[in-house]
Amino acid sequence: MSLSGHCMCGAVTLTAVPKAPELHACHCEMCRRWTGTALVEIDVAPENLTARGPVKTFTSSDWAERAWCDRCGSTLWYKLTLPGHEQFSVSAGLFENAGGLTLAKEIYIDCKPDGYAYADAGARKTLTKQEVEAMYASFGEGETG
Amino acid sequence: MTVDFEPVDGITVCHCDMCRRWTGAFIEIPAKIGSVSHDGPVRAYASSAQVERAWCDRCGSTLWYLYKEGETRDYSFNAGLVDGAGGLILTREDFIDRKPAGYAFAGDHPRATEAQNDHALAGSVEGACS
Repeated sequence: MSLSGHCMCGAVTLTAVPKAPELHACHCEMCRRWTGTALVEIDVAPENLTARGPVKTFTSSDWAERAWCDRCGSTLWYKLTLPGHEQFSVSAGLFENAGGLTLAKEIYIDCKPDGYAYADAGARKTLTKQEVEAMYASFGEGETG
Repeated sequence: MTVDFEPVDGITVCHCDMCRRWTGAFIEIPAKIGSVSHDGPVRAYASSAQVERAWCDRCGSTLWYLYKEGETRDYSFNAGLVDGAGGLILTREDFIDRKPAGYAFAGDHPRATEAQNDHALAGSVEGACS
């Protein structure tokens, strides 16, 4: 399945082949400050994402960068830059109907503010901060960024 | 970037096509008019004649949706900028029929359709989300 999308102003266009037919949401503090609730994203392998237009990036840690449209500010992606583990987490909002995909996993669920929640949380996998960071530690890193 | 403002009451979410492309779904805290101050490297995009959307030019964080009418400046801030979303609760969703099918927010709060939002906005904004 190949998805085509664009940012709010249309200056950045993307095509992506999802790794899996599902949406993920990250409630970590950095994703929340960056984009509001959670970054609702689609995982894409580096060779399966193409993007054209005015992309600007910020290195948010030694192993990650975050990208947006430099014309309209639309959130584009989180990229894990750790050698051997490179992956894009592309903002689902860039694609019509979020690519037709369904929210299948929420991470950093214990960092989510109490004032809102995605419905039917019991229907999907959730990971706490500790569980996510144990997974990252297995990559040779201590925490996300 | 730092921001300072007084919330009107709770959190609202907008699922319109522009907010969705901009930032997934815009989860926002409307601010009392005149209560806003900020400091730092702001960039803004005029998404219509009366609306600006702003972000941090250093890290790309979504900052606010600003509606301008005459001298009035009506800000709604990205709820994620505030620790714990200010302890506020989700009180309304707009453009609910534009929400992607694959997720939904929980709770028994008002949910307005595109037609209802356009009707409510017709007198004051552009007649559509912008």
